[in-house]
Amino acid sequence: MKITKSSVKKPITTLLVFVGLMVFGVYSYLYLPIDLYPEIEPPIITVNTTYDGANAEDIEENITRVLEDNLVMVSNLREISSTSRDNNSTIFLEFEWGINMDEAANEIRDVIDRVERFLPEEAEKPNLFKFDVGMIPVMVLSATADESYPALRQILDDRVVNELNRIDGVGAVNIRGGPTREIQVNVDPQRLEAYNMTVEQLGAVIGQENIDRPAGDMDIGSLNYPVRVEGRFDLSEELNDLVVSSFGGRRVLLEDVAEINDTLEKMRVDERTDGERGARISVQQQSGANAVEISSEIMERLPQIKGALPPDVELTTIVDTSEFIVDSIDSLTQTVLYAGIFVVLVVLFFLGRWRATFIIILTIPVSLIVSFIYLNLTGNTINIISLSSLTLAIGMVVDDAIVVLENITKHIERGSTPKEAAVYGTNEVGLAVVATTLTVIAVFLPLTMVGGLSGIMFRQLGFIVTLVVSISTIAALTLTPMLSSQLLRMNNRREGYGGKITDFSQNILKRLDSFYGNILGWTLRRRIVVVIIAVAAFGGSLGLLNVVGTEFMPMADNDRISAEIELPMGYKVEKTAEFARILEEDIGEKYSDEIEIISTSAGQGEGIFDDSGPNVIEFTFRMTPINERDRDIFEIADLMREDLARYPEIVEYSVYPGGGPGGGQMMMGGSEIEVIISGHDIDASMDLAEVLSERIDEVEGTRDIEISMDRPRPQLEVEFDREKLADHGLRYSTAADYVRNRIAGFTATRFREAGEEFDVVVRYGEEHRQNIEDIENILFYNENPQGNENPQGRMETIRLRELGWVEERLSPPVIERLNRQRTITVSSSLHGVALGEAVENIEKVVGQVDTPEGTTIEIGGTVEDQQEAFSDLFTLLLLVIMLVYIVMASQFESFRSPFIIMLSLPFAFTGVFLALFITGTTLNLISLIGSVLLVGIVVKNGIVLVDFINLMRDRGLAISQAIIISGKSRLRPVLMTTLTTILAMMPLAIGIGEGAEIWQPMGIAIIGGLAFSTLVTLLFIPVVYSAFGANRLRRERKRMAHEMGFNGE
Amino acid sequence: MKTVFIVYNQALMEKVMHILDRLNIRGFTMWEDVQGRGSDKGEPHYGTHTWPAMNSATLTVVEEETVPALLDMLKKLNSVSEKQGLRAFVWQVEETV
Repeated sequence: MKITKSSVKKPITTLLVFVGLMVFGVYSYLYLPIDLYPEIEPPIITVNTTYDGANAEDIEENITRVLEDNLVMVSNLREISSTSRDNNSTIFLEFEWGINMDEAANEIRDVIDRVERFLPEEAEKPNLFKFDVGMIPVMVLSATADESYPALRQILDDRVVNELNRIDGVGAVNIRGGPTREIQVNVDPQRLEAYNMTVEQLGAVIGQENIDRPAGDMDIGSLNYPVRVEGRFDLSEELNDLVVSSFGGRRVLLEDVAEINDTLEKMRVDERTDGERGARISVQQQSGANAVEISSEIMERLPQIKGALPPDVELTTIVDTSEFIVDSIDSLTQTVLYAGIFVVLVVLFFLGRWRATFIIILTIPVSLIVSFIYLNLTGNTINIISLSSLTLAIGMVVDDAIVVLENITKHIERGSTPKEAAVYGTNEVGLAVVATTLTVIAVFLPLTMVGGLSGIMFRQLGFIVTLVVSISTIAALTLTPMLSSQLLRMNNRREGYGGKITDFSQNILKRLDSFYGNILGWTLRRRIVVVIIAVAAFGGSLGLLNVVGTEFMPMADNDRISAEIELPMGYKVEKTAEFARILEEDIGEKYSDEIEIISTSAGQGEGIFDDSGPNVIEFTFRMTPINERDRDIFEIADLMREDLARYPEIVEYSVYPGGGPGGGQMMMGGSEIEVIISGHDIDASMDLAEVLSERIDEVEGTRDIEISMDRPRPQLEVEFDREKLADHGLRYSTAADYVRNRIAGFTATRFREAGEEFDVVVRYGEEHRQNIEDIENILFYNENPQGNENPQGRMETIRLRELGWVEERLSPPVIERLNRQRTITVSSSLHGVALGEAVENIEKVVGQVDTPEGTTIEIGGTVEDQQEAFSDLFTLLLLVIMLVYIVMASQFESFRSPFIIMLSLPFAFTGVFLALFITGTTLNLISLIGSVLLVGIVVKNGIVLVDFINLMRDRGLAISQAIIISGKSRLRPVLMTTLTTILAMMPLAIGIGEGAEIWQPMGIAIIGGLAFSTLVTLLFIPVVYSAFGANRLRRERKRMAHEMGFNGE
Repeated sequence: MKTVFIVYNQALMEKVMHILDRLNIRGFTMWEDVQGRGSDKGEPHYGTHTWPAMNSATLTVVEEETVPALLDMLKKLNSVSEKQGLRAFVWQVEETV
């Protein structure tokens, strides 16, 4: 190879090219941000439409269905689901992973523009909402306070939120909980009636009194004066003396008809941290920003921010997503380092020489660092995937260099000078080296083309390994011969300490060589026995497949558990909060060693997707780091479920190890099974759902069973008689506003103090909003009653009970649809049971239940993702096997040799199953990916061995002689490359540190598969070769003799 | 005048050149890549995957008295690493232009 020759001739150029590459790599590394995963855009868009006054069924019929029927035509759509509730329709469109979401959004907009005219006129224009990863808070802080509590929200707004907003990359910063100042005008309806006033009038007067207005300007002399009318209240007490009307020649003051309270807004949510009152601040990132950078910036500013707070206000971090990211990356970096150390030891042991070892080891940093250049140029991050790729690659990058160096050494031993040996030794094996690299690329490059979520996850893996291995081959063909020519010496006298180690290891290896030679001889004499044993081993391992469970993604322990607890409908926030205190105490005491911080929020949240009610408690437990705990979060979550089941007050509870449902778990793994009941009859479906949820609860391993549709909740409904309203000249909307303004109240004006504005809210006093009667007593005024002109020109008054009625009813259902059919979903998360098994059991349960006519049951959830991903991977596996076969067949120019080599593949899977079985790991996405990768790694050994046997045969040796000689000669390179790969995987397989659980299965699968298949390659393949291996040389001679008519000679 | 034809493993090329220089032999003709195999023990040098080694050949015409020195040095070179393979053949030059 020319490249080898010129690199040996120009050592300085060669050296500097690689030095340059490394400098660029290190530079790239320094500027690479850290993240947990490659950037993933969740392929979900929601379309939200408001149509006031329509009930759920109308919404479903007139809006949801119309939109759905047209939106199905959007390309790349995977699933369409919707919820139709009173006044509102929300459609969720889920797309294939990895598509351009901007294009999808545009297409949706086009569809909406087209169908808009078919929607009811009063309906608002549908809104598009793209779900963004940035919506999951990067960090959640909690603030607690004693005497500053009433002003806490204000303080946080001023001194924390503003500060945090200034940090680059921080998106929205929200405060949840904490009191807000509000000036309440609590009206006494009786007194108001006495003065013939309405709440609306009162509000209007307050609004009109509280104004400042610029009134132009005046020139006085040579000066210009602006004129202003000032009327704003300076103190909230001024409201008391506000004249609102006059009655019988007497002034009516506001305090005559209402009580003015400068107080705090009614609590909708009760936020506590470790039982102390407070508020929660959640920080979101701008899309594209880096969570780790943001949180480290926040951490840096936090002491300063804390300093500016009143002494009783305390800030604690409840959730810091970056912590887990940084820890995971750190532990993976350690894994890479350990892998490197193992590789060095193996090489040193086999070669026994420092200089040779140094030459080989040098290819590791050279080729690995190039991956950072790739990451930097493509705008990626250092994440779990890219680092795991490096662990995977580290054992492979030395292989080429080992083969090259081994041959160069052989030449030197034969008497060449190092320089000549470097060139010719490399030339001899150059082609084989390139071919083995091609087989590896044939496996990893297709990985970049997989679709779906797994495709996004493994694109980087594919690119990085392909790149790194290619670079390592280039280095093996240039850098390694160059260094050999410079560093290796002709006489290999080894003395002193190093020599002893060398002698020791070389002795062992020599004995191993001859031992292996003997075994080979033995097996070649008993071929049938060997084949039977091999087939039996493979068959037996297939049996293991049933024992080894399947799952989608392994779960990781991220030191977080959250729980959602639902109390009976109708619980007030105060009562919910009270119960939350009891739970906090009980749970906090029981798990005091494991829980660091309990953060509780009781009551209604404020987020868009927050569907909690006043009767819901949400806990976030921050646990101590995993190495300080005996039990993992899954175990603790299980115990908590048991605890929660004991409280009779709790209606429903869910415990989420790893953080909240959806967002937190999406990437963390964890499985969920959904039983989807479709059918038009909601009541029938609901009954079925209830039955199923009870039955599924009995299935082993199911947790947190939930029915998607809420149980109906009691509400008070006011209905008016339209004729009566018309008789009194009232419109329905006017009437509805009347009720609303008295109960919910309205903001009459805003009171300004110290640059801040507070709402002045007018409504009935609390004591006048206690029962149904209070609503019925609401007094309506009409100014111009039709038909009966009021002689005095005064307003007519009517009570609500004369116009309509109030009734207690259950809230109407929310209609959920999936793929344009009404559905109810019973979902269950799993723990301690393989997904495949659980699905089987649930299917059994579903089979036993009577399904009413027109109703169908389907099983979905993670199972779907799993099936999709698994089938993607099996396609990939076939593709990879074909590609590898093609590469090998063209290298050997034979159909037979690659076939013989590939016979070791099934045994790689035997090894995988065995390893999974022994370690009790499941077959999941990650271990499956590991198995696919094995194809490329495993055949390398076969290539090295079969190639050499072919060589020996071509050189005229008899078949068994050729096999034994090749076996002895190739044993070391095979063991060396295998051991480097296996030992490099070891730290990953042992899985120490945060987040290691995710990649553990891959390490286990590769180690098991490679170890077993290497054994097979060394023992079984020679046997098969001796049975099938053709002698090219003899065949060629025969053909030639035949052609020339030398037959019989 | 004698013709000396030297065939040797490519790996020895630089050394053969060195010998020629040492003996002040200026003229020569050289083929860098030639194939061949030894009659006795010599492995084939084909430049194929099976037999990857290649030979080079140098043909030089020298004064008769230089020949023994040349052959002597070549023999020495060959004896250092006999496995590499080196052969030299000498014959008479009839005429020159």
